[in-house]
Amino acid sequence: MTEPVLSVSDLTIALPEDGDRANAVTSVSFDVKPGEVLCLVGESGSGKSVIAFSCIGLLAKALKVQSGSIKLQGEELVGVSEDRLRDLRCTRIGMIFQEPMTALNPVMTCGDQIEEVLLEHTNYSAAERRTRVLNMIEQVHLPDPDRMYRSYPHQLSGGQRQRIMIAMALILEPVLLIADEPTTALDVTTQAQILKLIKELQGEKQTGVLFITHDFGVVAELGDSVAVLRQGELVEKDTTHKVLSNPQHPYTKMLIASVPKHEPPERKLIPESNKLVLKTEGLFKRYVTNTFSLGRQEVAAASDISIEIRKGETLGIVGESGSGKSTVARCVTRLIDISDGKVLISGEDIAKKAQRDLGDMRRKVQIVFQDPYRSLNPRRTIGQSIIEGPMNYGTSRKEALSEARELMSLVELDPDGLDRYPHQFSGGQRQRICIARALAMKPELLVADEAVSALDVSVQKQVLALLEDIRNSMQLAMLFITHDLRVAAQVCDSVAVMSNGKIVEYAAAKELFANPQHEYTKSLFEAAPGRHFKFAT
Amino acid sequence: MSNTQENTAEGAALQEESLEGLNVRESPSVWKRLRKHPSVVIGSILLFFVMALVPLASVLTPLDPTEINPRNRNKPPGYEAVYKNDAGEKYTVEAHMGTDKLGRDVFTRVIYGARVSLIVGISVATISVAIGLFIGLFAGYFRIIDTIIMRIMDGLMAIPAILLAIALVALSGATLFTVIIAIVIPEIPRVVRLVRSIVLSIREEPYVEAAISVGTPTAKILLRHVLPNTIAPLIVQGTFICGSAILLEAILSFLGVGVPPEIPTWGNIMAQGRDLFQIFPHNIFYPGIFLTLTVLAINMLGDGLRDSIDPRMAKEI
Repeated sequence: MTEPVLSVSDLTIALPEDGDRANAVTSVSFDVKPGEVLCLVGESGSGKSVIAFSCIGLLAKALKVQSGSIKLQGEELVGVSEDRLRDLRCTRIGMIFQEPMTALNPVMTCGDQIEEVLLEHTNYSAAERRTRVLNMIEQVHLPDPDRMYRSYPHQLSGGQRQRIMIAMALILEPVLLIADEPTTALDVTTQAQILKLIKELQGEKQTGVLFITHDFGVVAELGDSVAVLRQGELVEKDTTHKVLSNPQHPYTKMLIASVPKHEPPERKLIPESNKLVLKTEGLFKRYVTNTFSLGRQEVAAASDISIEIRKGETLGIVGESGSGKSTVARCVTRLIDISDGKVLISGEDIAKKAQRDLGDMRRKVQIVFQDPYRSLNPRRTIGQSIIEGPMNYGTSRKEALSEARELMSLVELDPDGLDRYPHQFSGGQRQRICIARALAMKPELLVADEAVSALDVSVQKQVLALLEDIRNSMQLAMLFITHDLRVAAQVCDSVAVMSNGKIVEYAAAKELFANPQHEYTKSLFEAAPGRHFKFAT
Repeated sequence: MSNTQENTAEGAALQEESLEGLNVRESPSVWKRLRKHPSVVIGSILLFFVMALVPLASVLTPLDPTEINPRNRNKPPGYEAVYKNDAGEKYTVEAHMGTDKLGRDVFTRVIYGARVSLIVGISVATISVAIGLFIGLFAGYFRIIDTIIMRIMDGLMAIPAILLAIALVALSGATLFTVIIAIVIPEIPRVVRLVRSIVLSIREEPYVEAAISVGTPTAKILLRHVLPNTIAPLIVQGTFICGSAILLEAILSFLGVGVPPEIPTWGNIMAQGRDLFQIFPHNIFYPGIFLTLTVLAINMLGDGLRDSIDPRMAKEI
């Protein structure tokens, strides 16, 4: 029996008095053995990051370890001096953060930042430090180490920055690596590469890894064992295979059942006779910049987009960040001007209309945004937000309010909540309110721009089910923008895959998922974490 | 979705619970935070006393701040000055802060001086915030006119308040109104910049876009969704403008380009005590103390307001 590198036992961390519960973490115990990857999984607010930060001594001042112990190779970390912790960081515990841009210092070159670790903790000569840093950059598979050494963080892509972070965390070969959602901010193909890299380096050096994530796909891909957290309590802990294929605790079962499946379910065919609600023909959106030094530059955010959505149909647009999918959504809703092409809403071209002539179109097309925290004016009650639209079009306040109450029931919220302010609702509830606001206009086309991406998986499932119900009952046409293939598989009748502003593949969902044609689509599918894993249902 | 129904009963219960659990967390109200903030409390108390001087001036002193009395020239604090009333009867009044070189009672002048200082401070703050808010909203929301407005504002910012005041006084004579205008003009661009920067970030917020997509007219969007976000920073900015305007008015008066010398203002009192400062420091010392305390009080209030109203600061507390 090997000694664990990290042993957490009975750890309780108190929240400040005004917190929403007494403890951030309650009596959590787990071990990480050498060479083992333990995934801490949980929804937002479950305390997983708090545990990670307590292991490296970076807890916010307001949080205090109340009881329990954290042992690194037998050495107690709770209550140890700041100096000792500083010695341990990087030498024996490495850490990778979620956002590689903010975790790196923007005014230091990447090489210098990695070298700083050696400067701080070793007596190597300058030449030796440089060789080691270059070696490490090579080990994380970055091209042209010399150039990378000299580059500033902003000159690298997100994935490359995360590789630099990994190099920094692992250069002194720590026994434990703590990774706090290191791939959440990355695109799916980059995520797959980073996960592969972590697995490879960790395997070579037999590093124990504490991997924090909310994504069961990532767990399936990487984890040896899993610990599931719910509101600070550990509800289940076992090997990955057991937890994912045969979960015991009802919460774990619910979470795993909420993970959208890769295979599209059977869906009713949309009859050709259904009215064409949205049709774009050769839609272009170009951004032109005029600078003194570079002259006129043109970037096409969306080129030659031709899509069609019929009544009752959901079209998904899938792509990585920067692929132009949100640009299409904003063009269709005319939140931005269109450079070229036609956008026909129920047969009427709105592409070139002036903003003041869009009144009719605004009724027919509604949008739900990604961030539920910023989509509602924090200073207005949700009632005011919901009735704003209908009242703009002449509905009386009384009538609009009674409709709003019905809509609140429709989105499964208490109608009496109309007098409340957005901050009194959780993220999922706010997204329901946003949907209610959109529906208040009785639209024909609903655009959902990453509408479920910011939500926890169980809440995501509820919101998706709600959207699906609404689409069915109201026969809405829906344009569903997402980066998540699994989500697209569940709700879309047809899917358009976008890359670099162009649609590279456009087919019925069933067809596309069963038999992707384009190389890019295939690579997206291949990169999706946990694709080959059979989850419990 | 089909797998919803396949969940165990317990799982479904959990789902229900997470759906019901209203995450209500009231943050302490702004008013509560204000009352607890030491700068706000101290600043308000100090300012309250200075403001109380305005209505109570005639109660606190029987003298006329402009009355010249050659017999009482340059007397030190504590001097028992003799005055005659209309009936020709003599009475003595203690000059708490001494008298100036024309025999006027400094205490009386300082108390009446608070009036002018506060009028200048409050009107400059109100006018510059009102105009700046209006221009800033337009500049921030309508990109087409933004460049033009902001270049004009850059131009205005380049004019030093003191030079402008000298020019305006030379043109239209020294009046309170001229002084207020002279201080307002260079303050406006600062407010415009502040409001514009807020509007620029707010107009990109999804809730503004949502309002656009439900067909809300632009005027209503500005009024309902954009304007309320500028109020808190403007209150804070307003207090700082108020403090600096009081200071600037004193500087202008001290330099002799401000309010006419017969009107008692703290700057005027100091300006007239300047020649004999080394022998009779009380002429500058007392108005100086009042000026410092008032500006300090307003700035403390402003600091406290910023900490308490600004949600970003509130989060850090």
